Amino acid sequence: MAPEFDFTRRNFLSTAVAAGAGLALTGNANAQTAAPKKTSPNGRIRYALIGAGAQGNVLLDALMKIEGIEIVAVCDIWKYARDRAQKGLKKAGIEVKVYEDFEDLLATEKDIQAAVVATPDFWHAPVSNACMKAGLNVYCEKMMSNTIAGARSMVQTMRETKKLLQIGHQRRSNPRYLFTLNHLLRELKLCGRLTCANAQWNRTVTLELGAAKSVQIKPDVLKRYGFDDMRQFRNWRWFKKYGGGPLSDLGAHQIDIFNWFFGVKPRAVTAAGGVDYYKDYEWYDNAMVIYEFALPEGVARAFYQVQTTTGAGGGYWEYFMGDQGSIKISENPSVTQIFRDNPPMENMPDWGPYVQKNYLAMKAAPAAAEEGAKVDVRESKKLEAYALPISFNKAIHQPHLENFFKAVRGEAKLNCPADEAFGSEVVIFKANEAIAARRTIEINPQDTEI
Amino acid sequence: MSDQNETARMPVNWDATLAFWLLRGWLGLRAIVTGLEKYAAIGKVMKPWVDPTTGQPDPNGAMIEATQKIYSLTNYAAIPQSLQDKFASEPLLPAALLKPFYIGLGPALILLGVMLWVGIGTRISLFAQGIIYIALTAGLILIKADDGVAWLAIHVALIAVALTLAKHNKLCILKKW
Repeated sequence: MAPEFDFTRRNFLSTAVAAGAGLALTGNANAQTAAPKKTSPNGRIRYALIGAGAQGNVLLDALMKIEGIEIVAVCDIWKYARDRAQKGLKKAGIEVKVYEDFEDLLATEKDIQAAVVATPDFWHAPVSNACMKAGLNVYCEKMMSNTIAGARSMVQTMRETKKLLQIGHQRRSNPRYLFTLNHLLRELKLCGRLTCANAQWNRTVTLELGAAKSVQIKPDVLKRYGFDDMRQFRNWRWFKKYGGGPLSDLGAHQIDIFNWFFGVKPRAVTAAGGVDYYKDYEWYDNAMVIYEFALPEGVARAFYQVQTTTGAGGGYWEYFMGDQGSIKISENPSVTQIFRDNPPMENMPDWGPYVQKNYLAMKAAPAAAEEGAKVDVRESKKLEAYALPISFNKAIHQPHLENFFKAVRGEAKLNCPADEAFGSEVVIFKANEAIAARRTIEINPQDTEI
Repeated sequence: MSDQNETARMPVNWDATLAFWLLRGWLGLRAIVTGLEKYAAIGKVMKPWVDPTTGQPDPNGAMIEATQKIYSLTNYAAIPQSLQDKFASEPLLPAALLKPFYIGLGPALILLGVMLWVGIGTRISLFAQGIIYIALTAGLILIKADDGVAWLAIHVALIAVALTLAKHNKLCILKKW
């Protein structure tokens, strides 16, 4: 489905329409490894930030810590946001030009090699496609688009232009996640046979975002960029024409981890949710989703919950459970925990050597059972707890951005190219679809492949 | 007749001299290392995780936290904070004396230990060490840390024996004091 507002003035719809019409796509993920090496004469990669809102600022903080790159322009339709970014950069001794319209930016800034896109979701495809067609490599925040057609058009443009398109599923470059997948799950098979997973992100009730009258965007400007009014501009995540709601805002990261760690896409999704708490929003303020994965060892199910009505004790994580152990991982290291099960198995490995080799850190030996401590005779024996010894002292998004710029230099492969992200994002769209349909939806392999 | 002259005329008692040297070595070591330890802290450092299979650092930048002992003037802590808190709540330990005692404890132990080893003011060094251990004992008695009291009593006993053997000391810079 194409965006409802008029992109034709700038010819941004063409690729989305083509993709929506089922245009055959060719190429493969390896296109993302054939990185161009074009940089500025001083060897620094010059880039623009397009979208300087909350997420744009988070990315900017991480970008400022990366060597060998240089921000030259900031674009945002909101003067308040672009001025704030410009002032912040000026304090750091960096002069940048600011633009309201990204097309003006692309027409003026001819000496840039990359763009970092952090606009509302419905602008991701038009902006990223235009940037790639202008010869830029693009780092685009997730979700790729607010529609599957939009996401597909991005992959198509990436392949046509042979430019890099990294999608901001930043856990894919997080050393702790990479270590867990490569060493604990794949090399050591620490969990044994994975039987299920769950993940959650519960957030305390939040107030609607506003803007003082003096900094509000004029209605004609909002209209030009597809927004109905300032309220919807500030709270775009809650409205269907701009984004995918909490399941895509928060769940996208974590559901992507299900797909990545299991190594396959789910074959079915069952979900429930609704707009049950907030009165004036369109997207579900709570959702519970069950994916069914057909793993080579057997079926595993993954449950995902997102709540925007309760902090529920805090923390967000992805929890992978197997017959020999469980790994609860989060971007927040204090939440991460690993447990060794006590199954009646003869080949159950001793984890002591893993601690000696720094695969694991000992956390706590199980306490001696107290008389009457068990409330139910069927309760499992208390498990040995371990910690993940891996850490990194960088901003959360920094490794993923570093991976992107290394790929631009031809020094690395993208950790999350658009064609890889596409499959993960389709299954998120399918969850919203399952909630609306109130039934289980089958996901065919051809739905997630491109 | 001075003590120094009297000692000089004494026949050499190698048994007593060797006994003193042992005590001199142990008590000096005890004081110096204890004093230095008050400038030590366990710090955390990050180092690359090394793949045991390949022996190479992780290509994805995985780091592990390792503990490392670091000596620095800024790390100085006379006694653990938990012990300081207990002493602070003891009415018989005047707060006005505790602070200077804490400030001087580490440097004093190092200085007294060096004096004993080098052989400058051997008796003064031993006696001052004894006073320090007695002062610490007073605090430990008040907080009922009986193990520590017994431990310090052994130190004081060793010092007392060392003092009685000090006249058999050889190899010192200043025999007086």
